Amino acid sequence: MCVTIYVKNTAHLSTKIEHERIYKKDFDELAKGSEFMISVNPSTSNMEKLDLHNLPAEQTALDIKNLDLYYGEDQALHDISMRIPKNRVTAFIGPSGCGKSTLLRCINRMNDLVEICRIDGEIELHGQNIYDKNVDVAALRRRVGMVFQRPNPFPKSIYENVVYGLRLQGVKDKRVLDEAVETSLRGAALWDEVKDRLNASAFSLSGGQQQRLVIARSIAIEPEILLLDEPTSALDPISTLTIEELITELKEKFTVVIVTHNMQQAARVSDQTAFLYMGKMIEYADTDTLFTTPSEKQTEDYITGRYG
Amino acid sequence: MATQSAQQLSANRMRLFKDRFARYGVTAGGVMVLVALLLIFFYLLYVVQPIFESVSLKKVNSFNLPESGQVEAVGMEEQAEIGYRFLRSGELQFFSLIDKNDRRSGDILLSETFVEPENVSSFAKTLPVNHQYAYGLESGEAVVVEPKFSVTFPETAATAATDKVERVITPRFEVKNDGQPLVVDENGRALEKLSYETDGDGMLFAAAVENSTLLITHFVAEENFMTGAVTLTPNYTEIPLNTAIDDIVVTPDLRQVIARRGNRVHVFDISISGNVTERELLPMRTRELGNATGMYLLAGASSVLLTHDTGKVSQWFEVPGDDGRQYQYIRSFDAGSPITEIEVEYYRRTFYTLSENGDMNIFHTTAEADLYRGKPAEAKVQAVMVDPRANYLLMKTAEGYGLYDVDNEHPEVSWSGLWQEVWYEGYPEPDYTWQSTSGSDDFESKFSLVPISFGTIKAAAYAMLFAVPIGLAAAVYTAYFMSPSVRRYVKPTVEIMEALPTVILGFLAGLWLAPLVEAYLPGFVAVLLLVPLAIILMAALWSQLPTQIKSKVNDGRAALLLIPVVLAVGWFSFEISPWVEQVVFDGDARRFITNELGVTFDQRNSLVVGIAMGFAVIPTIFSIAEDAVFSVPKHLSNGSLALGATPWQTLTKVVLLTASPGIFSAVMMGLGRAVGETMIVLMATGNTPIMDWNIFEGMRTLSANIAVEMPESEVGSSHYRILFLAAFVLFIFTFFFNTIAEFVRQRLRDKYSSM
Repeated sequence: MCVTIYVKNTAHLSTKIEHERIYKKDFDELAKGSEFMISVNPSTSNMEKLDLHNLPAEQTALDIKNLDLYYGEDQALHDISMRIPKNRVTAFIGPSGCGKSTLLRCINRMNDLVEICRIDGEIELHGQNIYDKNVDVAALRRRVGMVFQRPNPFPKSIYENVVYGLRLQGVKDKRVLDEAVETSLRGAALWDEVKDRLNASAFSLSGGQQQRLVIARSIAIEPEILLLDEPTSALDPISTLTIEELITELKEKFTVVIVTHNMQQAARVSDQTAFLYMGKMIEYADTDTLFTTPSEKQTEDYITGRYG
Repeated sequence: MATQSAQQLSANRMRLFKDRFARYGVTAGGVMVLVALLLIFFYLLYVVQPIFESVSLKKVNSFNLPESGQVEAVGMEEQAEIGYRFLRSGELQFFSLIDKNDRRSGDILLSETFVEPENVSSFAKTLPVNHQYAYGLESGEAVVVEPKFSVTFPETAATAATDKVERVITPRFEVKNDGQPLVVDENGRALEKLSYETDGDGMLFAAAVENSTLLITHFVAEENFMTGAVTLTPNYTEIPLNTAIDDIVVTPDLRQVIARRGNRVHVFDISISGNVTERELLPMRTRELGNATGMYLLAGASSVLLTHDTGKVSQWFEVPGDDGRQYQYIRSFDAGSPITEIEVEYYRRTFYTLSENGDMNIFHTTAEADLYRGKPAEAKVQAVMVDPRANYLLMKTAEGYGLYDVDNEHPEVSWSGLWQEVWYEGYPEPDYTWQSTSGSDDFESKFSLVPISFGTIKAAAYAMLFAVPIGLAAAVYTAYFMSPSVRRYVKPTVEIMEALPTVILGFLAGLWLAPLVEAYLPGFVAVLLLVPLAIILMAALWSQLPTQIKSKVNDGRAALLLIPVVLAVGWFSFEISPWVEQVVFDGDARRFITNELGVTFDQRNSLVVGIAMGFAVIPTIFSIAEDAVFSVPKHLSNGSLALGATPWQTLTKVVLLTASPGIFSAVMMGLGRAVGETMIVLMATGNTPIMDWNIFEGMRTLSANIAVEMPESEVGSSHYRILFLAAFVLFIFTFFFNTIAEFVRQRLRDKYSSM
């Protein structure tokens, strides 16, 4: 997947004109709902605004420092530095291939699976660099959960899907597992729909339900951070709405980082937004500010569709 | 504008044609494959089917012969054109059985009187194979006659014109001992009962004189090496028995005389020099079988048939036991009504019984088969005779003679003979045996498919034991852990192994590996045990290493470190092999296994086959299983990893589960290949059809059996058809395995199908 991004990325670099054309088209589609586009979810605007650049350590969930990422010879991320605040929803936006998914995958080291991937810089979680030699990747991923673009339940029952992460940690007590299943499914707003058929195959659920099941599976192991990689891009509008509402609830317990292609969604659910373009972080600010008074020309062009 | 649209139309038509052509072509191809498969199936059935057909009789001809008093014996020559009969009056008559040229059926072709009617006191005939007949005389002498036939193809004016030469069979006869009677009783008493056999030159007579005295006269033949003349030296033995003697038989090897008086059956051994010793008395089972009424020898002269007044026929033959070989009751057949006469075939173990109620029965001893029961002729059959080829039956009734075409091609094959234990002649107990042919014509064929089916399963099992762990482990490693750049080379390389001709593997296994395994047996066993152990130890050691060292080698390359370990352990195993052999096995592992453990050791054994055939099966299993594991969607394994699972946990809990249908079919495809594999088992097993799981013994598989025996099998014979049956069984085997595999795979796929 990451390789694909990289290929697209070079395409953008080489043929800028074509790339403009593509984004013009995207924008025409988005413009149909332009009233909503810049509007900001009232619930997020009520949150206290944070000084993102001088965030105190106790409010910081993740501290990304001078992160460079290379796929073989090609650099996909350039010197990314940012602090992601605790119990907030942070959104990464940007055109396809800008590196937002790559950045997200760096946070739980999913990029390790790509053989040609190489990383410089640091990501600190509780003051410890997660790329240190002595960090156990599996342990890291227990604390940093991830939900992917397409729902990916395991070929098991709903119940077994939810307790999968707990079983990995050796939890065998039936009572603990049952409790975790109920809590997680309630947390993912799925409990009422599936409580009578927990032993049914996960594939019997609809796409939206599957995605919520995957979220339930991720929160069952109680991570600190939940990474959502375009979680609604494969879903219908109703399911999307349900999940967006869910994300707003999730931030009470978890730090949520979401990558989205849909600027409306970023505006609706996130507290702060980072705009990436061609592997560089152009602007990082609270969502209100970024969407109403962006400081960078590129950001403004992107969010208004006049990309340039 | 119009032409343009017309062009578009024509282009569409072309596309339509291509589309149709492809569709019909593909459909036709698929149908052809199915049809070809069905044709193979039905052809096998077509060839196999006759062995399960029942016996049928068809009347060819009937004729009358002049009234002549009591008939002692009837016979036929090989082509069933001419018959002959011996009369009580001392006369031999040859007569035509069919209308041919100027001969009419029933015509007397030749007749000769050897003995004056008032001198005849008894009559004896040898087994049909020897076709000699003896008259016992009042004077204590015997006259031995052999009917003979000369076949000529005379050229006459008529045949020269048509270019078709007719066969002409001319009867003649030979009186043994240059026409002179042989003195059986030196005291000149009348021979009341006579039995006679010959082994070519020597002759053995056993006769009853004075009601209860058994007389055994052995003529030892000595050939004068100067003149070639044969002189017969008689050797007389007299054994008084207490009561009247009912039956006497002599075996054609001239080594045994069996005499029956009532229910007491005596067996006498004749030594080469002619000394007679009584060996045993048969333990008669009168309660079960009834009283004995008659005694006959079966073709091959190994079995004695006793008839009983209950209508049963019991079979007895010698069985090796603690006290040497002794006659033992084997099995019985029920004719339903007391039997008046038994006629045996020339070579096969078929016999014909005539009962008091007029029924004729046909039995086969090996097959334990009741082949025919009924009344073939309108009138009661008094005597029956089978021709040497067992194609015709000559029956004598009160109304005359009838020639019947008998269709009894495969009496020795029966369901019980193929799949159950059969007590073969001379065997200590019932057994599953495959021994289809031997040098002699009257050999009892042993057609049990059990040992070769067992061999097939044994070979496949040992091959799978070797191939499944290696094949699956390699597949999982290649698909899941190996870096893509290395995988690009490894996968095609292993798949090329599949194209290796199995005949090469077979002769390498038979000629190179088998002697090597024999020479380094402890080494090979050590490799099989130590290498997996070393790998596990290495892994344990690795996990204990400090992180600094581990981080220098990434996961994909860590496995390369195993190569020197495996090589070193292998080298070590072979180096210590002679030493271990010296210390533990007294210098020779093979002798130790045979003598101390009492386990048979063959050089070409299951271990060799397991390794060689395992090698042939590994690529099949590897290729399919690797595809299955590799095609597990990445988002599933990523999902698991993202939940904090280690790669191993992801593999066992998600990847293998999702790939299980593919892995299962890989194993089943491998099994199917192992079952059908021919050349390796043919060349590396020794082809011994034994039933033993012993890893140091070989086996014979269905496929190798067909390959070995088909070239020397007579087309249309029982052997030939049973080989086709073996092919059919093999077909069913693979069909069964594939069906089960497909069924289970579908179930697994339904259960674990992913998006």
